[in-house]
Amino acid sequence: MMTGMAEHYLVFLELRNGAIAKSSLDVWNRFQKFSSGRDSRVSAFAAGHAAEGAFDCLQGNGTVYHTDGTHFRTGCDSVVCAMIETLSGAERVTGIAFASTAMGRRLAAFLAGRLRAAFFSGCGGSGGVEKVCSRFIHSGTVIASYAAAADMTIFLQGRELPQPEFSSAEKPAIEAFDATPYVVGGIHSLLVHAVSQSCQKRDVAEASVVVAGGRGMGTREAFGMLEELAALLDGSVGASRAAVDEGWRPHSYQIGQTGKRIAPDLYIACGISGALQHLAGIRSARTVVAVNSDPDAPIFGAADYGIVGEVREVIPDLIGILRDVMAKK
Amino acid sequence: MRIVVCICQVPDTAASIAVADGELDLARVSWVMNPYDEYAVEEAVRLKEQFTGSEVVVMTVTEGPARELLQKALAMGADRAVELLAPSVQDSFRIASALAVSLRERYPQTPPDLVLCGKESLDYQNGAVPGMLAALLDIAFAGPVTSLAATGEMLELQRENENGTELLHVRYPVVISAEKGLNIPRKTGIRQVMEARKKPIETISVPDIQASLLLPLGFEAVSVKKSCRFAKSAGELAGMLLQDGHISAGGG
Ligand SMILES: Cc1cc2nc3c(=O)[nH]c(=O)nc-3n(C[C@H](O)[C@H](O)[C@H](O)COP(=O)(O)OP(=O)(O)OC[C@H]3O[C@@H](n4cnc5c(N)ncnc54)[C@H](O)[C@@H]3O)c2cc1C
Repeated sequence: MMTGMAEHYLVFLELRNGAIAKSSLDVWNRFQKFSSGRDSRVSAFAAGHAAEGAFDCLQGNGTVYHTDGTHFRTGCDSVVCAMIETLSGAERVTGIAFASTAMGRRLAAFLAGRLRAAFFSGCGGSGGVEKVCSRFIHSGTVIASYAAAADMTIFLQGRELPQPEFSSAEKPAIEAFDATPYVVGGIHSLLVHAVSQSCQKRDVAEASVVVAGGRGMGTREAFGMLEELAALLDGSVGASRAAVDEGWRPHSYQIGQTGKRIAPDLYIACGISGALQHLAGIRSARTVVAVNSDPDAPIFGAADYGIVGEVREVIPDLIGILRDVMAKK
Repeated sequence: MRIVVCICQVPDTAASIAVADGELDLARVSWVMNPYDEYAVEEAVRLKEQFTGSEVVVMTVTEGPARELLQKALAMGADRAVELLAPSVQDSFRIASALAVSLRERYPQTPPDLVLCGKESLDYQNGAVPGMLAALLDIAFAGPVTSLAATGEMLELQRENENGTELLHVRYPVVISAEKGLNIPRKTGIRQVMEARKKPIETISVPDIQASLLLPLGFEAVSVKKSCRFAKSAGELAGMLLQDGHISAGGG
């Protein structure tokens, strides 16, 4: 490990429909906050179409390298990785940071292999930017701590870290990065040629409120009231594996060991028993509410608030009350 | 088609892991095939059934013998198994390196057509080995997929992102990881288990060529127990959540 050398972090800014993804913006702010007043620098790299003013939301110093071109819309990770590799070599980057999105996870692992980097994924604690990482392993039953033993560290960060609060009067410089040398003959071994939109407007892994249903919901139709409650709280709907296996919701809604690990501020579990494999997915949830007809359901042991009752009665009541309270506002 | 599946074993998924003196205590756990790896093996065997003359090799990097794991993969239909013995296999980069070195030795001319992994192992949950392995083999990485259809020339895959599903075409060779939903792994009976016993398992010691890039500093058991405040009615629950600031009356 090279100590004493100034750190230079490169944040990957994921562009979605021309705008910077909120999860990438959080990573940028976290590193900016950490670096201000320290002898370290933060730059960023963004690939793909950026709408007019897309970078205006960025505060702080450093340089944002941006490369545009239709070939990025094909989702060619290897081209993006090659560019990040060049950039981090030329700019003496010591850490590359990604938001934990589907794309971020692919790029981070691939680059960690290319660059022999220490791989810090899902680390909590000290702001997530240090050379020490504490993270859940074994379904959230153990916290393991690691030290990086490489010159380069790759960070993969999700909602398990607190939302960073950072503001600065400074604005980063935006610089065009020339992609021409990386685009070889237009032949890609991997080509994304269709994207279908999910019916959910925000993925459970990115939502600050998640309302989830289990087998206790009884039917697919009963998920309608969870959609309603989630909409009221500006949240997303999730499901237990039992509910997914029943076919009530697609796999992308599943929370748990073989589903998504989520970290919302508020998690409402409805008709979910709280099996260890399910709890594995909500270890980073801040406040947990359980609605279950069985007073002995293990979910209550992992909940901050609970109500013993029928989902078909409790949820509509809750929706009604919240709607009234919000209407009065 | 030459297919390699990288698999591992993990503690039983309902096991709560103990920590003693700052170290993991795994003495009493029972081990199972990593669930995501079951999807990977199943998919490989389906491809083998589709393309005659294909070979499915399963590989595991392990500190000690992993016979039961490999026997299970062979019973599911893999042709041969390789047990790579390496010291201390907690570090994703070391695991990926051991796999890459062995794959280069086994396939010196061209890499295998398809390398399948599970999306992540349920013990360390890093999900890093597949991507790292692709980088070390210098081939494309398609990430976790929920659907796969193959022709002799290319694969048609589906993968999830935050907005929905991507449909992609990939040429061989490629590293892919298996996400839940890809298939439903077959159950194996006595006959398959007996046949598996006749299939070859090689054991290879991987020299300690790669230093760990992550140094473990310590382990700590986590208590999941929270103290739950019970509400008697939906109204009381709403009141508590509003009062404690978990829901704001302004919405969201
Ligand atoms: C390898 C492996 C991986 C797994 N991965 C996951 C995973 O990722 N995610 C996951 O969730 N599970 C996972 N599981 C499954 C897990 O073990 C449980 O089976 C599952 O979580 C149970 O889902 P559930 O709570 O919805 O259903 P159940 O356990 O059947 O619980 C239903 C609950 O609803 C309550 N209920 C019933 N009717 C009502 C009503 N009318 N009103 C209120 N409450 C009611 C019941 O009291 C009960 O507590 C995994 C299992 C294995 C073996």
